[in-house]
Amino acid sequence: MSRPHSLRRLALPLVALVLVAGVLGVQVANGGGAYEPLRPADACSEQVVTSQAEGIEGLTEQLVLLAVADAACALGVTREALTLELARSGAVTETQVDALREGLRSVVAQMEDDGSLPLASELVDEALDSADLNRFLELAIRALPDSLVDAALKTDDVLLRAIDDLDLRALLSNLDDQGDLNRQVEAAVTQAVKDSLVDRVRDII
Amino acid sequence: MRRVVGPLLALTVALVLADSAVVTLALPDILRELDTSVAQVAWVLISFNLVLAIAAVPAAVALARVRPAVPTALGIAAFAGASAWCAVAGSIDVLIAARCVQALGGAVAVVGCLELLVARYDERRGITVWVTAGVVGTATGPFAGGLLTELISWQSIFIVQVPVAVLAVPAALAVVAMPLPTLDRHRPDVRPNVTLALLSAALTAALFLLVLLLVEGWSRSPGIAALTVSVVPVAAIAAGPLARALRPSDEMEVAVGCFLIAGGLVGLAILPSAHLGWTVAPQALVGLGLGLTVDRLTAKAVSLRLPRIEHAGWTIGARHVGVVLGLAVLTPVFTADLRDAQVPAQEAITALVLDAPLQPQGKIAVAEALGTALSAEQGQVPELGPAFDRIDVPVEEQFALARLERDLGDQLERAATRAFRDSFLLGAGFALLALLVVVAPRRRRTAS
Repeated sequence: MSRPHSLRRLALPLVALVLVAGVLGVQVANGGGAYEPLRPADACSEQVVTSQAEGIEGLTEQLVLLAVADAACALGVTREALTLELARSGAVTETQVDALREGLRSVVAQMEDDGSLPLASELVDEALDSADLNRFLELAIRALPDSLVDAALKTDDVLLRAIDDLDLRALLSNLDDQGDLNRQVEAAVTQAVKDSLVDRVRDII
Repeated sequence: MRRVVGPLLALTVALVLADSAVVTLALPDILRELDTSVAQVAWVLISFNLVLAIAAVPAAVALARVRPAVPTALGIAAFAGASAWCAVAGSIDVLIAARCVQALGGAVAVVGCLELLVARYDERRGITVWVTAGVVGTATGPFAGGLLTELISWQSIFIVQVPVAVLAVPAALAVVAMPLPTLDRHRPDVRPNVTLALLSAALTAALFLLVLLLVEGWSRSPGIAALTVSVVPVAAIAAGPLARALRPSDEMEVAVGCFLIAGGLVGLAILPSAHLGWTVAPQALVGLGLGLTVDRLTAKAVSLRLPRIEHAGWTIGARHVGVVLGLAVLTPVFTADLRDAQVPAQEAITALVLDAPLQPQGKIAVAEALGTALSAEQGQVPELGPAFDRIDVPVEEQFALARLERDLGDQLERAATRAFRDSFLLGAGFALLALLVVVAPRRRRTAS
């Protein structure tokens, strides 16, 4: 076989090889093969939660998001997988409820330790706005100096009491009803404030 | 009349072979309009290819013994009638039955047209026209079907075939062709037919899966999808000049074509984004491969083999067995992968919603709207637009909400693209198997 003829024989395979290698190379260089859905982060890694809301709503959002991650870490699943599980009504197990409660308690303790938990006086006005209290009692509480409020009520204590008091299973099975959800949380927080105050008075006496 | 006989017969061959994949882009519309299931609607495609695969050889054997003009005309007429029946079908069962009749008529028409084209021109030119018409039909089917579905309706795909086929009936009757005396009989050439079957399975992956990815995965309209897949026929046309310029041997040309199709399918499996532009180069590889292989293999299986019409039947049968094989293997794989893609997609969506820069009330509203949208679209990629239209957030959060909608859409496209990966790779596997068949050493004939 003559040399030009054998070279011509190889021309088409070479062109094809260059074309295929070129196309696949450009694709891989531009992320081909890695174009996949976002992989959820490890729930046990450090979580950074920022909230657009302020006051009680912002605090609640931070607590819930961090607690879900904490619970997911304890259960060995991702934060997203646990969220989806919890959102499915009727699918919540006792283990998940316990992990979530423990997560909430742990987050409150952590925030208290690093000083990111707001003082009770910073939340009291907002709490009174939504509380169904006697007008004179409400005015009297608003008139109290912040130092007295902070001395009487510790945010972490109120939150921990509320977490223990909350029926998380009932709460999770009723996520669609926003009004009912608020009522349950409000009742637990009010009860926690009362219990905290009673214990405080008892300690003083 | 004489001048249009050849083109009309070639057009008939292209129409019948285009019907193999012409409804691919119309399947979502048929699914909705005829209120059926995904599994049933797939049979609109499978039934045609299966019947054509089974009927091609018996039709060819029967036609080899008679004057082919009248039976071919009858086949074309049956094809035209069944096309009209498809257009007026009011249920999926009727549509599938009509597709079976269409394929029966089509099988007789396609193999009969080969004899008529050879009689009209000469053996070499007749076979070339018949093979080219088949390649053009196969490559342009999804494009034409998608465009008609977008511009008019899925029924129009079948309606436009009727007048062409009706005109081809007198054209077939105008050709005087005699049955060739069967002095010699050749056995079917196994190698090109097996290669054709495997390549057809690979091309099914390229065309069928790509249009599904575009329409169902990336939510593009059938018209846009049709324009996108038009790269394949354009590249197939470009393969001719390339081969003529480099003058490879027939075997080398086919082997390179198989390699290009495999490369193109791997390219489709590893797309870097859901931008349509990324599909162009892999499709061009598939189109070039198609242009280098199918006509060469068909010509090799038919030329200088007697009775010619029977060998034509074998090639048509092999190609459509390949299409059915491709559909049978790929459909369960990609439907299972699409189902499996739901969990990572939902988790990615949940992550984005949880971390979205929205007020808690806004996040809850998004979660509720998405929950409804996702549960309503079980098994299919959901449309997020209507869900987001119902969400009411303060003006200062509108931008963040629009960005979240875009990011969630991106996650769905990523999940859908990932779900098609294994099927495209499987298609590439079919093309590599075809390459192995081509390059496998031939058995030496022992001298007796």
